[in-house]
Amino acid sequence: MSAPVSRQPSAVQFVTRLFHQPYVWAIVALILLLVINLTKNPGYLGVSVNPATGNLSGNVIDILRASAPIMMIAVGMTLVIATRGIDLSVGSVMAVAGAVSMEFMNNAGTGSFGTAAIAVILALGISAVLGTLNGILVSIVGLQPFITTLVMMLAGRGLAKVITSGQNTSATNESFRWLANGTVLGFPVVFVIAVVIVAVLAALVRRTALGLMIESIGINPKAARMAGIRPVGILISVYIVSAVLAGVAGIFSTASVMTVEVAKTGMTAEMDAILAVVIGGTSLAGGKFSLTGSIIGALLIATLDKTIVYMSIPSSATPAFKAIVIVVICLLQSPRVRALFNQRKATTTSTRKEAVSA
Amino acid sequence: MAHTARFRAFAGLALAGAMTLSITACSAGSSDEGSAPAGDDIVTVGFVAVGPEGGWRTANEKNIQDSFSTENGFELKYAPATNGDQNSQITAFTSFIDEGVDVILLSATEATGWEDVLTRAQEAEIPVVLLDRGIEPNDESLYTSRIAPDNVGISASAAEWANSQFPDGANYVVLEGPPGLSVVNDRNKGWDANVADNLVKLESQSANWSTEEAKSVFETMLKANGNNIQLVFAQNDEMGLGAALAVEEAGLKPGTDVKIITIDGTKAALEALAAGRLSFVAEYNPLFGDDAISVVNAALAGDSVESSIVVPSTTFDSPEAATTALPDRQY
Repeated sequence: MSAPVSRQPSAVQFVTRLFHQPYVWAIVALILLLVINLTKNPGYLGVSVNPATGNLSGNVIDILRASAPIMMIAVGMTLVIATRGIDLSVGSVMAVAGAVSMEFMNNAGTGSFGTAAIAVILALGISAVLGTLNGILVSIVGLQPFITTLVMMLAGRGLAKVITSGQNTSATNESFRWLANGTVLGFPVVFVIAVVIVAVLAALVRRTALGLMIESIGINPKAARMAGIRPVGILISVYIVSAVLAGVAGIFSTASVMTVEVAKTGMTAEMDAILAVVIGGTSLAGGKFSLTGSIIGALLIATLDKTIVYMSIPSSATPAFKAIVIVVICLLQSPRVRALFNQRKATTTSTRKEAVSA
Repeated sequence: MAHTARFRAFAGLALAGAMTLSITACSAGSSDEGSAPAGDDIVTVGFVAVGPEGGWRTANEKNIQDSFSTENGFELKYAPATNGDQNSQITAFTSFIDEGVDVILLSATEATGWEDVLTRAQEAEIPVVLLDRGIEPNDESLYTSRIAPDNVGISASAAEWANSQFPDGANYVVLEGPPGLSVVNDRNKGWDANVADNLVKLESQSANWSTEEAKSVFETMLKANGNNIQLVFAQNDEMGLGAALAVEEAGLKPGTDVKIITIDGTKAALEALAAGRLSFVAEYNPLFGDDAISVVNAALAGDSVESSIVVPSTTFDSPEAATTALPDRQY
């Protein structure tokens, strides 16, 4: 991260550095989507105070709120993918976390703050257990991450169904509901929590050697071991982090409607998470990762979902629309296409240099 | 590397073991059958089901399971789909044919793609009864009978109610199930054919039967149209409840500012109707286990069966109607 000393003004430096990031096209796409929405309604980005509820309301607020669960699972997924793994069980863990908290609050009966706190702790606890199982199977037993977490994905949803006896379970608890629907200083609580969690994680990973260790396991596990890095502990903790973050996402999405839909909550969430990671420029082959990229990816997916509804794209066409946007972004990020761009840039700059020297 | 080799050998062994087990299971299954048409013997029924989906589905499948009980002379084999996947249903269906069950009950997750397996069942002379979900193209020669409430009629009654509520016209949106399902097509058909011209459809989006998605979709619809929506036609209860949450979140009042119609009539929806959060609930009656039993018995006895049997359903248009119906609600 240590930038070479240069005499360029820092703003220019920042922009050029940004343009070398793989997620620059995701930012471009994000801005483009917002512009598309602005063409339908110039007031799209406006945020106002809702006179009836006293909360800030606006499309941007909705996007931030919708992006929080995706952000959580995408960040966890980034770390797992960086170790050359993958975590397909995040969606099911979301359902389990939601099921545990709803079932507990439904049975507890009291809508007190204490009940909500216990529900959160229980949900995160069981998520951590599932994550530990994933981690042990991958690191100590040596199973393929794909298979391990695929099994956990099926087992997890089964577990969620067992917990609620196959029913969609609802509960009433104002404190729990506030998590997903309330605001802090005008911002949605979910978004604030997500940002705090990501900031803590980023500091932990990037201010210590932990991030480097994770990357080294992903780039060459053997060499990493030779260099004295013990992969078992790191692998287990990475899967635990991913599962706990999925638990947080599960709490977010069930708290928003105060119902867990065992067959729907977190359905295909793993796909959104993987997409966000890929859009953010982290390679599925492991190694170098970018948390910022994944967060931008998560914001992009949330914006895309909201844009589809805002622009009234017919429901039969939404999967195609989503796919086209994502394919275009991935294409623009692919090394070949980027190389093509750089080549053209290189030739134009070199001709310009020639022209100057001539 | 020795590590992986040992693991591979172990995995191979486990796989071989599993295969032997399943082979023995198969042969054991088929030796039991052979000559077991309708007689005093127990009738084996394979139920290719959808599995947990929502309140309605749970009630329906529980009712079928309770009806085809051992006391009534049936052995029901329940095979829910894995996460609503049609492939897992086709697999279950073919294994029921191979096992040689007497009757197959089918609630298809997707309408299309059933011709091949249905022909196979016909060749094996196993009657197939469709429960709730129909197939497309609807070739009645491929199955014995379809028992279901009438989706077209139910959504038509919802449209009639909407016409009576808004004689001067209104803006409305539709929250659909996943595109491609026969339920979704039928519910759209009944609604579109009967809704008055002065009701303007602003847009129609899928919220995948889910409360959470419906809330998110409807909150954006409200913003996109500057809250100028007076009516929501939600094609199931869960989505209607999600829309009600979005309305409350936007500081409006469901029932007065935005009227919400839902289909299914689960307990949660009737409670919401009684509380004034929903405005109209059309029941889609899930309790037709007894009809299914009489159809199955007739088919096994070789009698002719109606190819389509409609289960009667009611509607609830006021909090009072919901309050009266609530104590007896089974689902």
